[in-house]
Amino acid sequence: MPAKRLIDLLFLLLYRHRRKHMGVFLLSTLIVFVLLSFMLTAQSLHHTLFSALEQQPDFIVQKVRGGRSVDTPTAWMEEFARIHGVERVAPRLFGRYFYEPNETHFTLIGIDPFEAQSSKFLETLVAGLDLKCFIAEDGMLIGEGVKAVLDHHHFFDYYVFRAPDRSKIEVPIMGTLPREAAVLGNDAVLLSAERARTILGIAHDHATDIALFVPNPLERDTVRDKLIMAHFDTRIIAKSELEKLYERLYNYKGALFLSLFTAVLLSFMMILYARYQGLHGSERREIAILRAVGWSIKEVLSLKLLENALVAFGAFALGFVLSYMYVFFLQAPLLREVFMGFENLRVHLWLQPHLEGATLITVALLYFTPFMAAVLIPVWRAAITEPLEAMR
Amino acid sequence: MIFLSNAVIVFLLVEALLLSLLLLALYHVIPIIRHWDFADTSPRQYALEKRSYLAQLIIFFTLAFKIALLPYFAYMIDGLSLMVPGAMCAAGVLGANDYGAFLLGLKVAILFGVGLWIILNRRDLQASDYPYTRLKYLLFLALFALIAFESALDWLYLSSIATTTPVSCCSSIYGASTLGSPIPFGLSKEELLILFYLLYALCLVAALYSIGWISLFANAALIYIGYYAVVYFFGLYIYELPTHQCPFCMLQREYGYVGYAIWGTLLLGGFFGIASALFAPLHGSTTRALYRLSALCNTLFVLICSTYVLRYYFLNGVWL
Repeated sequence: MPAKRLIDLLFLLLYRHRRKHMGVFLLSTLIVFVLLSFMLTAQSLHHTLFSALEQQPDFIVQKVRGGRSVDTPTAWMEEFARIHGVERVAPRLFGRYFYEPNETHFTLIGIDPFEAQSSKFLETLVAGLDLKCFIAEDGMLIGEGVKAVLDHHHFFDYYVFRAPDRSKIEVPIMGTLPREAAVLGNDAVLLSAERARTILGIAHDHATDIALFVPNPLERDTVRDKLIMAHFDTRIIAKSELEKLYERLYNYKGALFLSLFTAVLLSFMMILYARYQGLHGSERREIAILRAVGWSIKEVLSLKLLENALVAFGAFALGFVLSYMYVFFLQAPLLREVFMGFENLRVHLWLQPHLEGATLITVALLYFTPFMAAVLIPVWRAAITEPLEAMR
Repeated sequence: MIFLSNAVIVFLLVEALLLSLLLLALYHVIPIIRHWDFADTSPRQYALEKRSYLAQLIIFFTLAFKIALLPYFAYMIDGLSLMVPGAMCAAGVLGANDYGAFLLGLKVAILFGVGLWIILNRRDLQASDYPYTRLKYLLFLALFALIAFESALDWLYLSSIATTTPVSCCSSIYGASTLGSPIPFGLSKEELLILFYLLYALCLVAALYSIGWISLFANAALIYIGYYAVVYFFGLYIYELPTHQCPFCMLQREYGYVGYAIWGTLLLGGFFGIASALFAPLHGSTTRALYRLSALCNTLFVLICSTYVLRYYFLNGVWL
């Protein structure tokens, strides 16, 4: 049979049995939509986290005393810089600042605007930021969550920090971090290193911790060994450990969801099976006529399979488009909250459009396998209908 | 702990579903094997023919999904390398316990069986008197046993990957530091390459003149030699590093997932070549199509590999 005729027949069949297919189509679309929305949201967060992690240092060395981390002496930096394979050593200044009116914490991050790396980082972070102005006025950049809180308390252009030495420090607000940075930078306050030192009470020959950059992955194990041997009162955090931590966190919620979704998939199969099990009189006659005009069981089988495959693929495509729009255009209302915590500042997360083939394949496997498993027997049962009996 | 990975859950779920479908098929297949007789006109034979449609339908679809599941398995293992200390790609995760390497071999072997079944099924349906029905269901029995064994191994393997004990990374498994040459028959790299291209030429000749036994031999040898050529020669150009020898890292994003194409075409080319030899006694259009597919896949494989080498030479002016 010419291909076009077959396609015509297929669509005719679909149209004739639209009642029967509609329920299955809607249900399948919903299944794909829920599954894919969840996966896309998780995957977008995962992507944002990991791309932020990429810029992080390969090692962080903290000084510990009795299990608590204390300020790390910057004198260690020279020592670490001499280790072969270490490209760059930088002090990091950060800490939490308790904002009493709201009982929340801001994360203060000290940045040295005269250092090439961090000024480049600042410029890429905030497009159109006037660096000279930032240096001259010694201001700060704040995350969206911080901005919301400060706006609420009418600190529109400045905020007065209270330092441990009982001094009050007024810092002008120079801008807001872009919404793409909201996953990590929501509660962040970026200010100059000098200001951060005063507010956080860090002495001049100390830093919060020391960051090491080791570009060659093969050298990292040796560098790590040398760091362990260098001082006995340190905690060394490798980037790979952070990656593992994030990955586990990300997998944890996904796995919980998928395990529960198994039950949904099983009932989906049952519904499909029940729906396609019963044959209408008209459908029986239709198959009988096809058989009577010379179609073999094999051909009827493939026709029926194609019919179901069209429904399955159509639902998958529609579900995909809907979930993509829901997650990336509408920013996944409701679903987003599942991923968010409420411990600190409320995060207004911006889900960056990001699509991985693997996610699509995962969802496709998870959807098409039960679909196929559920329709095979009903399709076969329809195809072996006795033509004589049916036409009688 | 490893069960917390999304891909593992999806994989095991799909695998369990496919196994239960195959179990259903088995229920229909056994009476067919026992009583099939096409010449018989009894109602029993008539009913058996109808059941045979269901059995082959289920088996065909299940096996088709099984094929899709192998690259997914590779992807899943690769993803786990983040969670297993020391592993930088699938090599380390596969080596995390004693099941891994054997399991991968078993999966590839099963895939060959699956391919043979699908071709046999096609031939059987094309003929008017279903001459291979009993044969294909016997093959299915063997496949079923293997797949059931494989599913059990999958559980054992995945549940016994420890996330706290460090494993070896690929550079220490396939690394240049190991004593002695890892290349078989004591070949040097140049000899390995010459052998590789000669075998490819032999495969082409066998496909062109449809000589079954040469095709069988040459394709089996090409898979074996091709594996070593990719790991110890072409891989270096893919990674652009003279010390990086690993069959798995090329499956990662950094290398454009090219590993899937490389191993896919190598295995497919070899499979079609071997299958064409096995089906040669049956003659007909299937065999010729198989030869053509084999030549096509082998050529693609050689082209992809060689392109990396030439590209590197053009960009850098030196050989690695």
